[in-house]
Amino acid sequence: MDLAIRDIKQHLGRFLATVVGIGLLFAIVLSMNGIYRGFVFEGLSLINITNPDLWVVERYRGGPINEQSILPEFFHYSVAAIPGVEKASPFIIYPVERHIAGESKRFTIIGYDVFTGLGGPKNFTAGRPITQAHYEAVAHQKLGLRLGQNFRLGLHTYTVVGLTKEGTSPDGEALLYLSLPDAQEVIWLPDNEEVRNQRLRVYQSLVRPGFFSPQEAEKYLSRYGIDTHRINAVLVRLAPGAQAKEVVRQIKDYLYLSVFTTPEQIEIMFKGRLDRPQRQLLLFRTLLLIVSVVIIAMVIFTLTMEKIRSIAVMKLIGAPNRVIIRLIMEQSILLTACSFFIGWIIIHNAYHLWPRLVLLTPGDDLTTLGLALTGGIIASLLGIWKALKTPPALALGEQ
Amino acid sequence: MAEILKVEGLNKTFGSGHLAVEALKGIDLTVNAGDLVALLGPSGSGKTTLLLSVSLILDPTGGKIWLDGETIYDHGWKEVDIRQLRLTKVGFIFQSRNLIPFLTALENVLLPLDLLGFERDEALRRAMELLKYMEIDERAHYLPALMSGGEQQRVAIARALASAPKLVLADEPTGALDSVRGMKVMEMLKKIARENRTAVICVTHDERMIEGFDYIYRLKDGQISLSDNHG
Repeated sequence: MDLAIRDIKQHLGRFLATVVGIGLLFAIVLSMNGIYRGFVFEGLSLINITNPDLWVVERYRGGPINEQSILPEFFHYSVAAIPGVEKASPFIIYPVERHIAGESKRFTIIGYDVFTGLGGPKNFTAGRPITQAHYEAVAHQKLGLRLGQNFRLGLHTYTVVGLTKEGTSPDGEALLYLSLPDAQEVIWLPDNEEVRNQRLRVYQSLVRPGFFSPQEAEKYLSRYGIDTHRINAVLVRLAPGAQAKEVVRQIKDYLYLSVFTTPEQIEIMFKGRLDRPQRQLLLFRTLLLIVSVVIIAMVIFTLTMEKIRSIAVMKLIGAPNRVIIRLIMEQSILLTACSFFIGWIIIHNAYHLWPRLVLLTPGDDLTTLGLALTGGIIASLLGIWKALKTPPALALGEQ
Repeated sequence: MAEILKVEGLNKTFGSGHLAVEALKGIDLTVNAGDLVALLGPSGSGKTTLLLSVSLILDPTGGKIWLDGETIYDHGWKEVDIRQLRLTKVGFIFQSRNLIPFLTALENVLLPLDLLGFERDEALRRAMELLKYMEIDERAHYLPALMSGGEQQRVAIARALASAPKLVLADEPTGALDSVRGMKVMEMLKKIARENRTAVICVTHDERMIEGFDYIYRLKDGQISLSDNHG
């Protein structure tokens, strides 16, 4: 006879309400797992998608994703000249917040050499890659643009020629791929008012007693222009058989730049940008799991106390301890398993409502279930201890 | 006549030193198969203490107890499986809330049979027989909360008999019942003693309920005496 099931059947309403309550807690634990996985996935997705052999960045910078790095565009020619380098491509990654298609949006612009370069989109849900030097774009679906849609960005109008859903910025924002010159213009070309202000500042610094006359200053000013030929990194593909260490050494020694392999970029992300948030998420989900187990322990203890006289009756009529232990532990495990199942159903049907990626994996779900069941068993110990201490005389009204 | 319970010089003292209270003082008692024994006495006289001691729940301070020919206490518990002894040889009925509330009447009776390892079908057959014997089989699938106090006590008697015990201990079994239902319960206790040869020890303070009992013992200040007008 299954005493645990019969007890639950008699208090089914309360049991279900408790299961839903603890199930919601488990849903949060599972969502935190998914948020953690999604956080790491998004944090590394651009590195994994781009995946060059080497990332060449400004000296002593951990860029271009973990930290900002600025290089003159022509540096990619110098990198390409290093023995062992098959291809060196200029690359821009730059988060912006701009008005696009009528609303202000945060997204990240990726600028790359659209003809032969590295770093462009690889998989499309619709459309094609950028094939012209200007005014074409490939947008991440999260940006909400349609294939063929024209949108204004900076000084020009662009057409969406392709849609993708792979990868996001490390902050989970949508990517907008542009050709390198378009990206440089959108990112670094100031508007006309700012150009006029800069020219005025330069003019005023030149026209000073004993320095330049207004005429001379005007002459020099005509040579002053806004330089947009900047990039964040050079992406390198090594020639077959080339030794990465040697290429890295030469770039460092002769070009005075910093170089990272893709695994090193991932490590930098883990140790830097992802480190504290992921530890915080781990702490948070650990606390939630502990809270769930404590609540289960309290519920089981309360359930045990409510039937303490019945337990005394069982002891009085000769029920061995294993029958009483099984009754309490089975209820604890049932409560935990049912709550977990409810939480699992909730989160697997609602994860897409989260504003950022919630990446649920069977491995995480099983690990959490294992931990929860272990917690459930531990939680039942308090009730078991109380039940085993209960004297059978309690059934007769004696303590 | 088969001797089911024998108690010799049983003592029980609560506390120690000048705070010590002697609840039982050298109790001698013998109960044979089929005996109907009543224990009467005012509150605090030691009735329940005696019942708890012979039912292996309370540790006596001294004396000897034999159950079904086996020495279970001789100035200390002998090496016996107390729960197994209670399960197989002693049935319990007490004042109220006898039954496990989340089990039906049938399941309450099935519980000891389940603990004894009876096959499911055999256990069901036996439990239904007992409920019928106690004239409560029509309530077999009712939860205790849906039964009257008298009905619950009859189910409790059926459960006490499930393991075919040699001894049934009843602690104020009619205490929470009106006189009509109380009499019915006492009739059932007499029935099991007469028909099953089960020894019954019944603690009560209501002398109206013990008519027809074989022996009436009175307890006063921890000492026992056989009543003159019975036995």
